[in-house]
Amino acid sequence: MKKTGVFICHCGINIAGTVDVKKVAQGAARQRGVAHAEDYVYMCSEPGQNLIIKAIKEKNLDHVVVACCSPTLHETTFRNASQRAGLNPFRCEIANIREQCSWVHRDMDKATAKAAKITKSTVERVRKNEKLEPISVPVTRRALVVGGGISGIQSALDLANSGYEVVLVERSPSIGGHMIQLSETFPTLDCSQCILTPKMVEVSKHPKIKLMTYSEVQDISGYVGNFKVKILRKPTYVDPAKCTLCDECTKVCPIVVPNEFDLGLTGRRAIYIPFPQAIPASYTLDDKNCPSMFPVACGKCYHVCKPRAIDYDKKPCVEEIEVGTIIVATGFDLYDKAKMAEYGYGKYPDVLDGLQFERLCSASGPTQGKILRPSDHKEPKEVVFIQCSGSRDPENHCAYCSKICCMYTAKHAMLYQHHVHDGQAYIFYIDIRSGGKNYEEFVQRAVEEDGVVYLRGKVSKVFQEGDKLKVWGVDTLTGKKIEIDADMVVLAMAMRPSQGAQELAKKLKLSLDKDGFLAEAHPKLRPVESVTAGMFLAGAAQAPKDIPEAVAQASGAAAKAITILSQERLYHAPTVAVVNANLCTGCAMCVQVCPYEAISLDAKGKAVVNEVLCEGCGTCSATCLRAAIQVKNSTPLQVHEMIKACLGG
Amino acid sequence: MNEEFEPRIVAFLCKWCSSAGSDLAGVSRMEYPSNVTPIQVMCSGSVSPLYIFSALNKGADGVLVSGCHPGDCHYIKGNMYARRRLALVKNLLEFIGLEPQRFRMSWVSAAEGLKYTLVIKDLVKELKPLGPQTKMRRKQ
Amino acid sequence: MANIEALRQEARKLLEEGKVRTLIGYERGPSPWVSSPVFLKSADKVETLIWDPTCVQNLVRFLVDDKRRQAKEREPDKRPVALVVKGCDSRAVNVLLQEKFIDRSQVLVLGISCEKTGMADAKKLAKALKSKKFLAVEFGEGDTFLVTTAEGKVSLPADQVLAERCRECKANVPVISDVLIGDKTKRTPAKPFASVEPMESLSAEERANFWKEQFDRCIRCYACRSVCPMCYCEECVVDSINYAVTAETSAEEKAQKIRWIERSSEKSENIVYHLVRAVHLAGRCIDCAECERVCPMDIPVRFLNKKLEKDALALFGYEPGLEAGLPPLVSSFKDDDPQDFIR
Repeated sequence: MKKTGVFICHCGINIAGTVDVKKVAQGAARQRGVAHAEDYVYMCSEPGQNLIIKAIKEKNLDHVVVACCSPTLHETTFRNASQRAGLNPFRCEIANIREQCSWVHRDMDKATAKAAKITKSTVERVRKNEKLEPISVPVTRRALVVGGGISGIQSALDLANSGYEVVLVERSPSIGGHMIQLSETFPTLDCSQCILTPKMVEVSKHPKIKLMTYSEVQDISGYVGNFKVKILRKPTYVDPAKCTLCDECTKVCPIVVPNEFDLGLTGRRAIYIPFPQAIPASYTLDDKNCPSMFPVACGKCYHVCKPRAIDYDKKPCVEEIEVGTIIVATGFDLYDKAKMAEYGYGKYPDVLDGLQFERLCSASGPTQGKILRPSDHKEPKEVVFIQCSGSRDPENHCAYCSKICCMYTAKHAMLYQHHVHDGQAYIFYIDIRSGGKNYEEFVQRAVEEDGVVYLRGKVSKVFQEGDKLKVWGVDTLTGKKIEIDADMVVLAMAMRPSQGAQELAKKLKLSLDKDGFLAEAHPKLRPVESVTAGMFLAGAAQAPKDIPEAVAQASGAAAKAITILSQERLYHAPTVAVVNANLCTGCAMCVQVCPYEAISLDAKGKAVVNEVLCEGCGTCSATCLRAAIQVKNSTPLQVHEMIKACLGG
Repeated sequence: MNEEFEPRIVAFLCKWCSSAGSDLAGVSRMEYPSNVTPIQVMCSGSVSPLYIFSALNKGADGVLVSGCHPGDCHYIKGNMYARRRLALVKNLLEFIGLEPQRFRMSWVSAAEGLKYTLVIKDLVKELKPLGPQTKMRRKQ
Repeated sequence: MANIEALRQEARKLLEEGKVRTLIGYERGPSPWVSSPVFLKSADKVETLIWDPTCVQNLVRFLVDDKRRQAKEREPDKRPVALVVKGCDSRAVNVLLQEKFIDRSQVLVLGISCEKTGMADAKKLAKALKSKKFLAVEFGEGDTFLVTTAEGKVSLPADQVLAERCRECKANVPVISDVLIGDKTKRTPAKPFASVEPMESLSAEERANFWKEQFDRCIRCYACRSVCPMCYCEECVVDSINYAVTAETSAEEKAQKIRWIERSSEKSENIVYHLVRAVHLAGRCIDCAECERVCPMDIPVRFLNKKLEKDALALFGYEPGLEAGLPPLVSSFKDDDPQDFIR
């Protein structure tokens, strides 16, 4: 007969004042299987714990119940005491007779009766508790960062500088993301490339960072601490070790395609470098636009390349790496102008989006920093900026606010005024959201120093008339309709998760929120963690944000990743679900309900639980029609016994 | 209808929200009737319909299941499955003629000590005039 | 009227070509108003196949038994089983596929449409014929049944003798089939949940009295469970002594058996059995009404399942067995699932 010890705490008068603790102890002593029952004034004190230890040793107890305060306070205390006495800590359970009994009732008879029931029910439960040992798995001391924008770069540097190996995967030929496309950044107006390129160079030179550009995550398996990732390395056909950036190849390449870096405002050759400061510092041959390499149809670039860096025979290859944690920093793209029916479906050449305007402002951009109309290269004298284009519009586009547009529109208007002294910038807005440090002052500068005209109202239509763009808006503060014959219109398009992020999230089994951004584990308290253990989120992939926030979040994600990578082994609570394969019919309902995707079907079609991912919630157990899956130490049998005890049976 | 009748209620409280809410009621020294004996489960999603039927079979006059509000479940979505499953259980119990007041589900968060108290008081008040549950109780 | 010759022809072809292991269909039973399942292994017996309003059995249950038998074979015959299914039965096939209980390649579905009618209820027939003995019941033209008595043939409108569940049927044409015999026109039932509505409008006391009578009568023979294709669990959760104890069953497993209810057929124990069964069939029961047909105590078992089927549709927009790829009702949820019952 297994022996249980029951210890009733007085907790001074907190319990004993309303509950007759001696009576409860006497009742417990009479319960079957109880070999020892006593009461004491403060069970959590040193002498109190010693009573427990003594009884465990002397009476060879198999289980212990301590009837006292809420388990949130002293479950660990009493489990540790039990362990010191040689009893498996999971065979010690707490009966809450204070917060849920003595503190909320006044009638002593009733409170005592209830305390007795609670204690009895806990005894019935603990008698069926198994001995459990914490589960541990080894940890691969390497991190994967997906996405080479500012967030990915920051995370990679923080991890590498903490001594961990990092693999940074970026699908375009260079790291830098969207930040490298920017001209100046708010609120300081310092040059974006000047502040970013040092970080990019640091990444390229860091001994702990393995940079895989022009590569994509293809497949992933495993779990926290032990991920296996397959990465597709696409061939650039140019050897970065040999390429000297002489640029002779682009002079002879006959193919011209729209330049993605300049968002279609210029063209590039099939062999190209996205921008001069690209990292890795090497050219890339775009095989989708090169006429043919099998057999070689053109071959001009190969002939002029003196260092012999070009090799048409390169093939894509798949590299498999093992990592302990993954940080996803896949960034954003702008909502497509073509979706804005009211602003011309993106067909008018002089209606630009924010990133395109950024490229116009940039000294290394399509117009060498002069603000010129794409249609006729004339300087625009009247430019209209439209905020909230696609954002804050639940009926037609995106319901959310894209956070950065008020700030960058103010910046664009200011830059325009600086470049075109006799020009006039108009900004149509609904609200001005300038909450960051020095942000409000920045916006005021645009109004006070640069003469930007702010009009509170939405623009209903933009259309081409001759070589002007007619803008129909309203100024709600004066109540007047506004019509402007603009030379250029710049739309602050909504921020969307980057193209392909959804497919990647599926591969990584990361959940997305209702707008398609990566879902965080808790919106307030866990903004950089995903629900999947070992996977973290950083940057605009998780929600629209500006550069300081992206950098902060990237460092936060790196810190979280380090909490895993810094451990020898990962420990996990052993109160996990386990499957009885004899009863399992493989219907996979448990697989579907598990919030942690911890259950899968094995080769025989039976459910099997990954103990490291299981959090022991028991949803699977309640869903299973056959009771084939149960959580250790919280089984239906235990609940059955507890129900009986609660009803006085 | 016996005035002295005290309904015996079994409550399944989820550890992270409702049990914590109940603890808060205790810490705040709120007072409520002692008719409810709590059983702590990890998540409202882990409450099988069998538990409810079994409690009624063993003579419970009322059964309460309480969990986290939608969107707040510590285990992300266990309460969503509980919501669906227990809606069916409630309708089925009413269909066979059990008084609807005898099975109740509530959302009580860790901050809602007062709400927990009110749920218990309300439940006891509704059950007292109904007398003992005889429709599903096993004969003693 | 679905052509029995077409069915027999298909069956002959399948059996002659050796494409299937067994062909399960209906044959004439011991009396004119009873049909029996038949298991054909050779083409020479296909003439025994029948199709008339007495073909009430849900043959999908045999897939469950067949799977168990195959599991015991040392060298199982890998050919599929051919199965004659009505519209309602075909939904059961979908549920079994949904739960991966069977593989699609293991069953060859010979769907047969009930067209404008369905199955005849024997009691209603007797009443309509004023207890005259009948020699045969066949499908008539359109929505009628053709009954042969000693005096000759009588045409009865379907409405008069149709089985209760057929009046609420949503799938008189099989929703899954490899071969489909009969007209594809769907018949929309006048009132899909007419049988449970009177119950819902009664007071709690009236309902309790009704069900008290029913549950009192139950003898826990488990015929309802044995005939249901969806009750394929190795061990019934409420009847865990049923479990096959083998040499490999550990002491812990034996100790884990929970006696949720006593074996005695007390009303209180019967209620738990029936409620658990109803909840476990929520989103899975396709209302073939076999459970009710086989009950020796004439308990309207089907009502419990129908009530939950109605709620599954009304509350969650869910209809079981219409396609095999559907996620199960209780392992999915919608953000806007109703919660007014949660206070």
